[in-house]
Amino acid sequence: MRPAIDLWVGVQAWLFETFVSPVLFSLNLMEWFEPAFNAVEFFMLGVVQILVILLVMRLLERRWGIEHGDERLVGVDRVYTLLNKLGIVPLFVFVLAYPITNQIEHLVRVLGFTPPRLERLVPGLHDSAFLSFLVYFALYDLAAYWVHRAQHRFAWWWALHSLHHSQRRVTVWTDDRNHVIDDLLVNLVLAVFAQFVGVQPDDFVLILMVGRLIESWSHANVDMSFGRLGERLLVGPRFHRLHHARADAAQPHIHDHNFAPVLPVWDMLFGTARFDDVQRPTGVDDPRIDADNGRGWFGQQVVVFKRFVAALMPRGSWVTQRR
Amino acid sequence: MKNAVIAALALVLGASSAAHADQVIVLNSEEASYSILSRGLRMETQRLPLGREPHHLIQTPDGKELLIASTVTNELVSLDTRTGERKRTIRGIIDAYQLGFSPDGKWFVTAAYRLDHVDIYRYDGSFRLAGRIFIDGMPSHMAFDSESRTVFVTLQQSAKVVAFDLETQLIKWNAEVGKAPAGAVMLPDGKRLLVALTGEDSIVTVDPKDGSVIGRLRTGRGAHNFWPKGDGRHWFLSNRVEGTVSLIDTQDMQVVATVRIPGGPDCMDITPDGKELWVTQRFLRRIAIVDLATMKVVGSIPVGKSPHGVFILKAPALTPPLSPFLRAASNEPDPK
Repeated sequence: MRPAIDLWVGVQAWLFETFVSPVLFSLNLMEWFEPAFNAVEFFMLGVVQILVILLVMRLLERRWGIEHGDERLVGVDRVYTLLNKLGIVPLFVFVLAYPITNQIEHLVRVLGFTPPRLERLVPGLHDSAFLSFLVYFALYDLAAYWVHRAQHRFAWWWALHSLHHSQRRVTVWTDDRNHVIDDLLVNLVLAVFAQFVGVQPDDFVLILMVGRLIESWSHANVDMSFGRLGERLLVGPRFHRLHHARADAAQPHIHDHNFAPVLPVWDMLFGTARFDDVQRPTGVDDPRIDADNGRGWFGQQVVVFKRFVAALMPRGSWVTQRR
Repeated sequence: MKNAVIAALALVLGASSAAHADQVIVLNSEEASYSILSRGLRMETQRLPLGREPHHLIQTPDGKELLIASTVTNELVSLDTRTGERKRTIRGIIDAYQLGFSPDGKWFVTAAYRLDHVDIYRYDGSFRLAGRIFIDGMPSHMAFDSESRTVFVTLQQSAKVVAFDLETQLIKWNAEVGKAPAGAVMLPDGKRLLVALTGEDSIVTVDPKDGSVIGRLRTGRGAHNFWPKGDGRHWFLSNRVEGTVSLIDTQDMQVVATVRIPGGPDCMDITPDGKELWVTQRFLRRIAIVDLATMKVVGSIPVGKSPHGVFILKAPALTPPLSPFLRAASNEPDPK
């Protein structure tokens, strides 16, 4: 294990000291020295995730793909994945979110509240790094489940999140197809949650890494699951594709199922789980949202922003059935 | 087999009191833990939990306790400096990023790096907050005058050093000294305050009376933190961007030796025999060992994520009544 850690941090330190640190130094941004070092790790994790997508998930999609058609629809999702996994969108989100989360943390701490650590409340948790990781992971996933419900519940948030659902060719690349404001909001909520339950930076990186990989896989263009028991333990493509299914008159609320990012147990607990093996077309049955498919990254960002602003208006010009 | 032998040795050594003097404490700032290392075996023997983001640690003036500050958990954890065992937890010490005791041991000061305030406590074994001064600019490191009247705090974001009167908690002066000032040390003559400029490649000499810059010495990019060699004349300085540690002769004000230590070298401590310097390598999750006779790195021990503060436990008979910083400031001879 240690040789792997040494190799990993060796590459991270080399990248940082060669490319990042001199820039921070010359721009007098040394207060960002440590955060920037962690950002390099985020970039490296993104490269690893892209390699896993390319070398494993894409091969499975090629072999057992179920939706075929216009390949150009998928192209824009690859742009989203690159921008997200390589840290460009997250950097933007971090710059905007950091002062807010920092201010919240300052306020809470000045008021005398200190975030708890579960290791103190649950004896033995600290002795098992794996168990500790699982507990934090589950809590984080629970929070993400409710954030996802909120994305569908509120019209203004659905105006943003509908971009993610508008894709008619859902593939492993689709997980990252989100509006930057949607990314910002989700990250804000989850970062504050992580602070309050005491997730360590090290755990947080691993949670993001494992979680995002599973989420990429759950969008894969294949009809696969982890088996009758397995699909109740871990979200797979079959389970999540139902959430992306295009609604029709017969099933107008098909989207309102299977919200869980990684652990289906939340859907089972809160009554939103649906297990079946029916293959359905994906996308949104609203032509204004479906029109996202003809646009590139920038065009989608502009149009969806307008949709978001319209949804915020008291008598908004953009009204749609919530999903 | 080799690992089993080493583990058995660690167990045997761990059972004896002499072993405690062999221990080194390293704070893994990004994984809420501290590592206990064996100097003899040159390996980590134990990793124990702490509150979140432990960055720095300091010995109490009586030499009996080692205080570890967890910044996000707002607490100090006290370890027995002879046995390494936990003694108590002091809660409500908010964002204690950097810690310092005045040379007379009556004042305890913390710098809240993220929450932008400096807290001054009266110390008599317990901590009574005398004043909290909110000040923008990321209060970072500190030094005291030898009379225990003034604490000098560097503000890493605002390029300034601020001098606070300990008794009144009022600002005496507030002066710009250079980019990203961090480590600070008051020299034994009481007339020169050295400040490391992490945003530059130098340290500056500051007049403690008014904060004016009266000298400059180039050391290496990202000049950051000091540690005394113990002779009252030489000080080590970590240069985080350059990846080096400089040995500075403060009498002639020149760099007399430099050793390359990759991985963002930061905090340091020196072994009781004065033969080795231990330096945390923040980025590499290791601690480097420098042989001071040859000024070469002779070892590097794996620890946890982002190791920051380091402290070498001394044998009971060698436990100094004052920390090396305070000893240097008070001109007390080094028991080493």
